[in-house]
Amino acid sequence: MSDPLTRTYERFPLARRIEHLVMLLSFTTLAMTGLPQKFSSSSISIAFVSILGGIESLRTIHHTAAIVMMLGTAWHLLVFGYLAYVRRTRFTMLPSLQDAKDAWLAFMYNIGRLKTPPQMGRYTFEEKMEYWAFVWGTIIMGATGFMMWNPISTVKLLPGEVIPAAKAAHGGEALLAVLAIIIWHLYGVHIKRFNKSMWTGKMTEEEMLHEHPLELADIKSGIADRSEDPATLRKRRSVYFPVAAVLALFMLGGVYGFVSAEKTALTTTERQVPTVVVFVPQTPTSAPTLTPTVPATETPLPTSTSSAPQTTTDTTSVAPASALTWDNAIGGLFQTKCGTCHGAAATAGLNLSTYADAMKGANSGPVIIPGDAANSLIVQKQQAGGHPGQLTPEEIAQVVEWINAGALEK
Amino acid sequence: MSNWFRANRAQVGLVGLVLGVVILLALMTLPATPVAAAPRVQGEPPSDDTCLACHQQEGMTAQIGGQPLPITINAEKFSSSVHGTEKIACVDCHTNITGFPHPQVIASSQRDFSLQLYPTCQQCHVEQYAKTLDSVHQRAFAAGNKNAAVCTDCHNPHTQTRLTDKNTGKLLLGARLVIPQTCAKCHSTIYDTYKKSVHGAALTQEGNQYVPTCIDCHGVHNIQSPTTNSFRNSIPFLCANCHTNEALMKQYGLSTNVLNTYVADFHGTTVKMFEENFPDQPTNKPVCTDCHGTHDIFKVDDPNAGIAFKKNLLVKCQQCHPNATTTTFTDAWLSHYEPSPRVFPLVYFVNLFYKIFIPAVLGGMLVFVLSDVYRRFMARGTQRKGAEQK
Repeated sequence: MSDPLTRTYERFPLARRIEHLVMLLSFTTLAMTGLPQKFSSSSISIAFVSILGGIESLRTIHHTAAIVMMLGTAWHLLVFGYLAYVRRTRFTMLPSLQDAKDAWLAFMYNIGRLKTPPQMGRYTFEEKMEYWAFVWGTIIMGATGFMMWNPISTVKLLPGEVIPAAKAAHGGEALLAVLAIIIWHLYGVHIKRFNKSMWTGKMTEEEMLHEHPLELADIKSGIADRSEDPATLRKRRSVYFPVAAVLALFMLGGVYGFVSAEKTALTTTERQVPTVVVFVPQTPTSAPTLTPTVPATETPLPTSTSSAPQTTTDTTSVAPASALTWDNAIGGLFQTKCGTCHGAAATAGLNLSTYADAMKGANSGPVIIPGDAANSLIVQKQQAGGHPGQLTPEEIAQVVEWINAGALEK
Repeated sequence: MSNWFRANRAQVGLVGLVLGVVILLALMTLPATPVAAAPRVQGEPPSDDTCLACHQQEGMTAQIGGQPLPITINAEKFSSSVHGTEKIACVDCHTNITGFPHPQVIASSQRDFSLQLYPTCQQCHVEQYAKTLDSVHQRAFAAGNKNAAVCTDCHNPHTQTRLTDKNTGKLLLGARLVIPQTCAKCHSTIYDTYKKSVHGAALTQEGNQYVPTCIDCHGVHNIQSPTTNSFRNSIPFLCANCHTNEALMKQYGLSTNVLNTYVADFHGTTVKMFEENFPDQPTNKPVCTDCHGTHDIFKVDDPNAGIAFKKNLLVKCQQCHPNATTTTFTDAWLSHYEPSPRVFPLVYFVNLFYKIFIPAVLGGMLVFVLSDVYRRFMARGTQRKGAEQK
């Protein structure tokens, strides 16, 4: 290596960089599809949901991203196991009291109370903070996510209240995570200095000198590189890989259970639409005009009829023809049903108030031809129907019977 | 007929002349308003008295489609009806009648005759008539259901009393008591259910004029189908019209937070976002009526059906979550409560925790970030000439 300051050191192998990318994508997707659900009344949320094809598809995307993140977490645990057992690397990510001191010193340095910044190792206190915040967040989000995804199973063990509490925590934690990423990660890795090592995997010696001087010293002194002999590694691998395979299966099963434990919580059953018979009219059905209180066919003549009691009128309809006379039935009938127009008013010249007037007929001539109901205009008019003051079929039958019997007065 | 014509030649000529004038005037003055009746011309066809001379006789019928059609009018009721008080004459609606004999009615049934007559209403009630054209009744009618309500089925033109304030056009309070009975003419079973509900009982038994009648939810004239997706999705906002009204709810000691709390909870969030984006799409997430009922809405503390009781609520939950078998599941829904130290304390304290935790964490981060910005800013000022710090 020519210039020591441009010499590069590997910081993240490819697998870790892919892992970071997967978490980055799933985290962003979860945030973008989750926050609109938290702030469901905001017009931005509504527009965004619309773009993604609706709330149901938004949730499908959210759940898919959650599965990706769960798988990423499982992978991370397996890698951790490998590094811890097979490679026996130092636990450089573990937080320590020194990190708190470093944070304090860095702050003192920032406000000008110290001349030099703290010297830090492979992971600075900022990076550790972010990592452990992510771990904390993943646990909270995973647990509360499970409860919301599987509420029925959850309430078999826990009180029902944990479901809305889980929702509250899920939303609160999400907000915290997103804002922390924006403030802490964005500033620390992108704005303060654009740190490309998570993409290139490398850091220059100069960068190492500034940010991880203790690690650089360890590398140079050979402490960092704890190469074991290949035989030992092979032996450990042969132990770890079967264990990891079981662990992997176990975790995959966990994810599968997480996703599919419940059917009717999120994808509820088809909505049962009650069938209601809406048209059930009241009887009698009302009409714009006055319906006779008793059906028209049975209407007895009104009591105003002076000439004859109604009972006789009704009974005479089945009695012998000779029983019908002007005086005992027909005169009263005409007076009641026709009298308004064909009484004193004599509409069209016809006055039916007395027997004599009735037999005189109308302007057009006689309307009653004794013995010949069929040719009597009064019967023709009534049988045609639609005449104002229309007689009922029974009443017409009476009139016909009366005329055919000679249209007697008495 | 020819005899009659000859005898009444003069009248017929006059009637023809007058008719021509009327048609001309009618064309000039369209559209008429409900209050201003079509202009009357001297010597025009029968006055109401002339009509009533015959038509107030009891038991008068005409034959239509082989059935007797009652044609008796209660003169007293008519004169106290809104048409009577506004001096709307019989012939203003029965426009084809200019004298006697009346033109022949060609109708297959009493219903058919009503259907022929009711478009006459649009002479004055233009707006209402136009609205009915966009109603579920009109659509049912167009689909061939001749029983579907037309104007006169709800408003008996001979007896209808005033429903709205003459000046403001607002529905009169007293009219509200009559509305459910009007709809009951055809929807009698729904009315029977409504009568027993918290709203219906208040209206029919206590005469409470402020509870919803049919039209408050279903609208009037342009009544829409209540079984469409868009209607269903809009139900929470429909109920909220009254249930977020402070003045109204105070009378019953009811919370006005029911919509907020619904929208903030699982189901409501979905429905809200759904309604905003896809009002026509089906959603199986519950709206108010799925738990509270539609026409059979009871008080939540009703001993038999009240859903404030977990066992009753669980039944509602199971409509969509059949696997939920324990009453603890009902607590997964906040029942419109806002979490407090007394009700749903766990939710309350989780919220409180994040209310403190989020600003604390972010505040700490911000302080550190700002201190870093400050250092860089100062360094740039003082060490401009020196080696720039990365």
